[in-house]
Parts: sequence; structure tokens; C-alpha cells
Amino acid sequence: MFSDMVKNKVLIVDDSSMNRSILSDILGDEYEILEASDGLEAIDILSKEGDNISLMLLDIVMPRMDGFSVLSKMNENHWIENIPVIIISSENASLYVERAYDLGALDYIQRPFDTLVVRRRSQNTIMLNGRKKSVGNSNENKLSRNIQNLNTVIDLLTNLIERKKVDISGHTENVCAITDSILNNLGGISFKYKLTEEDIATITIASALRDIGIFGVDEKFLMSDTDEAIAEIRKHTLIGAEMLTKLNDETNPLIQRAIEITRSHHERWDGKGYPEGLKGDRIPISAQVVALADTYDSLTNKKINSQAITHEEAINKIMNGECGAFNPVLMIVLKSIADTLPAKLK
Amino acid sequence: MTVEQFYDYICGDYAGTKGRLMTDERILRFVNKFPADGSYQLLLDSLDSANVEEAFRAAHTIKGVAQNLGFTALYKSSEAVTEILRSGSLDVAAKMPELTKYYNLTIDGIAKLNA
Repeated sequence: MFSDMVKNKVLIVDDSSMNRSILSDILGDEYEILEASDGLEAIDILSKEGDNISLMLLDIVMPRMDGFSVLSKMNENHWIENIPVIIISSENASLYVERAYDLGALDYIQRPFDTLVVRRRSQNTIMLNGRKKSVGNSNENKLSRNIQNLNTVIDLLTNLIERKKVDISGHTENVCAITDSILNNLGGISFKYKLTEEDIATITIASALRDIGIFGVDEKFLMSDTDEAIAEIRKHTLIGAEMLTKLNDETNPLIQRAIEITRSHHERWDGKGYPEGLKGDRIPISAQVVALADTYDSLTNKKINSQAITHEEAINKIMNGECGAFNPVLMIVLKSIADTLPAKLK
Repeated sequence: MTVEQFYDYICGDYAGTKGRLMTDERILRFVNKFPADGSYQLLLDSLDSANVEEAFRAAHTIKGVAQNLGFTALYKSSEAVTEILRSGSLDVAAKMPELTKYYNLTIDGIAKLNA
């Protein structure tokens, strides 16, 4: 189609012309670049171009009008709903990051710029936003309603699972967020697992169902730590997969992914996991990612772990193999997105 | 002088920069734009006129550019000045000589690189 040949427009907003030209050099092959040297110029371009801008890279500290004011203005004018923003700044203080996220920025890239990171995060953000736009499209309202309904049902199930496990709510959402983030950055590091946007969205939703088999485990074992209880609790993997198989809907990608994840999210890369002791990439990639996301949130989440450790410590422990055995490629991805995670988690 | 020797000369980080920007050609393109960036002069002017906000932004820009280009020594010295100015203080006399030293060294290095 003709429209496929038109390059997406990326607006780079930074007061330093050096920084603008580095970014424009990194992204120029793939996108049409527009530049603004402060917030006022950015607003001017936004009011002319509107939705034609596929992505905005925004610096925070600028003369005349800073990045936060640009975000506020974009909220006022409802531009933020259609134009995705990635913050670029050396201000890595968590307060800055948090404020930018609160104002609707989708991602955050720290200086110094890394060619691959800038390219990949730009691409991901544009892709994700494209998906959001197509769901929001008016002639797809019916589909959108169905997706909302599905999300409601999954929220309800999540709530039930968390009650059963006496978990504090929020863990499942965090695991979803980490899973989504790992999968979206996996393609930039390895070409091995050819996952489409659709696959990524499906795996992320299906991750919420990983412990659904807990409903098939006798209540008396849940609070116990005898050998017998541990063996029974471990069966939640197979029970969950069986529950999903019984739906007789195995051609549905969501169910396929949910079966992979429920069955194999306690497998280990070294083959020492359960229920089947699968090794390496014999474990479905969906289950590998969810297992890593689960471990990471369990280590750092103060609500579910009274001895929670910091994000840096968690990354170190995982990389050192102290908390299980994971696919080395996934650990590299996790490390590369580590700085963006704290702001995404509850 | 090679690009690597240039980074040694100005106390920068060649390996890291090459890792991020990928090619010498790209590094060179940006290094050669550095002398035309007016932020250092803007910093001096704003300090003269006691305009702390403008001085902060100028120092902050030098810091960002230096960080992106792997000019480690200039990055660290401009960071020190940036943090003082961020707090609203103009009392940078103790930290400016270091920044000036590495700024001049960098400009000098770029001239040698192109000699």
C-alpha cells in the first residue's frame, strides 16, 4: 500500500543541537525527523502536525519551556493520548522519571545514548501506540469492547488467584508489566524467538493465568510446607494446563499460550525445574519469560516479600544464578531494561 | 592522531563510546561539531551576568553532550558545576577551573585530530 512507503515522523525536542543531531543520525534512516530546540517550538510543531507525529523524544531541561511543561500542555490538549513520548535526559533521579511517567510519558532513555537502545525503544513505542490506535478505531468498537470484557474477566480471575495464595494484590500486574517489557526488548537482542506484536500481547495477558491451577489443589496443603504439601502444590502447573485444555479451545492463541505458561512456568533453564524437568529452549519462551518476571517481582516487591531487596541487588542475584536458572539471553534483556522497571511497577 | 588516541588525550572513554555509537565515522562527525556548540561561552556569559538559571542550563547541556560523546573528564567536571548551579548557587569558583581545563583540552585535541 502507498501509505506503507511514507516514513513515520519523529519529533526530537532538545535544546542542544549536538544531542539532536546524534539522535537524528541514529534514527534518520528509518524515520522522517523533525527538530525543536525548546518546548515552545515543540508545541508549535505539535499544533501543526498533530497525529502525524508518530513519536516524540523529549528532553527535560530546556530554556523557555521545559519538558514537563510540554507534557502538561499535551495533557491539556489531549495530544498525549495519541502521540507517544519518550523522555531523554541525563536526569536519572527517580523523582524525574516518576513525574514524567505521571504526565503520560511512555518510556525513558538515559544519556549517554546507545544506538541500539534508542532505535529499539523508538520502534517499540511506535508499534505499541499503533496497536492502541487500531483498537481505538471507531469501526472496531465491538472488538474493543470484547477486549475490555476479556480484561475484566482476567482481572477477576487474577483477584481470585491472589486471594487463594494469600498474595497481596499487584504482583500479577507487575509480572504482566515485566513480561511485556522483556518481550518487547527481546527482539533487539536475539532474532531467535520470532514473536509478533500479537504474540507479545497474548503472552502478557496469559501470564496472569499462570497459577490458575491452584484452585485444583486441596486447601489444606496451601498453608503447609511438608514434603507432601510441596508435592501437591507443585501439581498446580499440570492441573492449570488441564483446566485450560478442557476448554477445547486450543486453536485460540490465548489458550495455547496460557497452557504453555501454566504448565512450564516452574521449569528451569538447567532442567532442574518441574513438572517435566524441561531444559533450555525446550521450555516454551512464554513460560521462560514469565518465570523470570515472577522471580524478579518476588525479590523486589515489598508487598509480598518482607525481606525485599533493591532492584540492583535483584538483577545481580539473578545474573549470578542465585535465584534459579534462566536463559542467558533473557537475563541480558532484563539487565538492559532494569533502569526502566522501578517506575513501571507497583 | 587516531580517534582512539584523541580519546586518550582528552581523558575520555573510547571503548564505551564506540560501543554505543558503533562507528568511528559517526563519532568523528559529532566530535567535529563540538567546537561550534555555544554552551561553554553561554556558561561563561551567564556566570558574568549572574544569571543562575541560564548558567545551569548551559552547564547541563555541556554535561549532556560530553556524556553522549564519552568525554569523561569534561563530563565529570561539568557535572560538578551543574549540581552547584542546580541548587541556585553561583559559587562555582572552586569547580570552574577543572571544567575550563578539560574544555580547552578537548578543543585542543579536536584540532590535533584534524591536523
